[in-house]
Amino acid sequence: MSDKFIEVVYDKFVFKADSECLYHKDECWVRREQKGVVVGITDFLQKTSGDVAFVELPEVGSHLSQKDAAGIMETIKTTVTLLSPVSGDVTEINSSLYNEPQLLNSDPFGAGWLFRMVPDDWETESAGLMNAEAYVPVMKQKIDQELSKK
Amino acid sequence: MLIQLGLKKVGIIPCNGEEICEGTITRFASRKVLDELRSGRTVTICLPLFTAGGTEERNFATVFPTITVDGCDKRCSQKSTERLSGKPVHSIVVSDVLKKCGIKTPSSRRRLTEKDQQAVDAVAEEIAKRVDEIQEGKV
Amino acid sequence: MKTKIMILPCSGIGKAYGEIGRQAVYEAVDNRPDISDTVCLGRLMIEDHELKDSLKNGLIITVDGCARDCAKKIVESIGEQANSSFRVIEVFKDHRDLKPAGILELGDAGFQLAHILAERVVSEIDRLSEEENKC
Repeated sequence: MSDKFIEVVYDKFVFKADSECLYHKDECWVRREQKGVVVGITDFLQKTSGDVAFVELPEVGSHLSQKDAAGIMETIKTTVTLLSPVSGDVTEINSSLYNEPQLLNSDPFGAGWLFRMVPDDWETESAGLMNAEAYVPVMKQKIDQELSKK
Repeated sequence: MLIQLGLKKVGIIPCNGEEICEGTITRFASRKVLDELRSGRTVTICLPLFTAGGTEERNFATVFPTITVDGCDKRCSQKSTERLSGKPVHSIVVSDVLKKCGIKTPSSRRRLTEKDQQAVDAVAEEIAKRVDEIQEGKV
Repeated sequence: MKTKIMILPCSGIGKAYGEIGRQAVYEAVDNRPDISDTVCLGRLMIEDHELKDSLKNGLIITVDGCARDCAKKIVESIGEQANSSFRVIEVFKDHRDLKPAGILELGDAGFQLAHILAERVVSEIDRLSEEENKC
């Protein structure tokens, strides 16, 4: 098991949190890169939503405020609006997701990234996000709620 | 870092056999146990995913107790589970259950009728009984 | 007598895709009973030599629910290759409005999706059968 991930096992399901990411409660993560940040969805969100069939991503060049609708992810059982975890200008989108939306399921922290942006105020906004250690208890509570429904 | 959550559940592994109606019954009976009879106490293991290499399914079946539910005496689910993860605690064969209960085999593998529900219920009850035995430590 | 074309659904139980694929295969095989059939996928994973021998050099179509391709992988694990493969999720992408009611109780929309997939499978059965007759 890699140190990069914290894993929570619930029955046969293993939920992961990447220790290099910061998390918003609406289940998008953000990770600092050399130039800007990259944004994606959490393992919890992809697992509970099901196989992704359609993705809509923001336009390159558009500006998003924190918690703005940044895109949509649709599965056979649900449609989820994805909220931007930070404010900034979108510089790149992962267009592979249009042909291979299943990347969101198979590799949500890697090849399934959604978009890149240049953040407006990283220092202030990132302070309000959760690191992996803080996110995991939140995820555990959601797992309990979600899977005890079944 | 690994964190374990949840009660120790029982894994139900239906064969899903496509050729005969008993395979269809394994599916409906297993889901009935999962969704209604022993909700929150069981999980279903997807046999094709299990055999094709699904690590989560295989890991669960190695650690947790399992009940295989086969349509017929070929016992594909039981044999696959034994080979890939370990002996199931119980192995149920639908044709045996129906014979024991004096229930007529449904005529269609494609769609079960309301009358066929009796067969689903009988197998589901058998699975639920075995789940109880495992969780009460009687096995 | 030529061997029938074998249509193998994954029948996954965790998602509606599994039941949709299964229903599609039943419909396709019922439409082409003289040239196609289905067998239990589980039999490929046990020492069922009768089945493995009958699949050797025969034509196989797999119908998987999702990109995990379990039926296709199981066929490959016994040293065979599917001649054609379908995924239910790809049919759903063309018919976004058809969302099944449940995992096993598909409802009208789920059965409609199964029917659309069945038509595609039947076309493929016909195509493979025609190709084989030419040889």
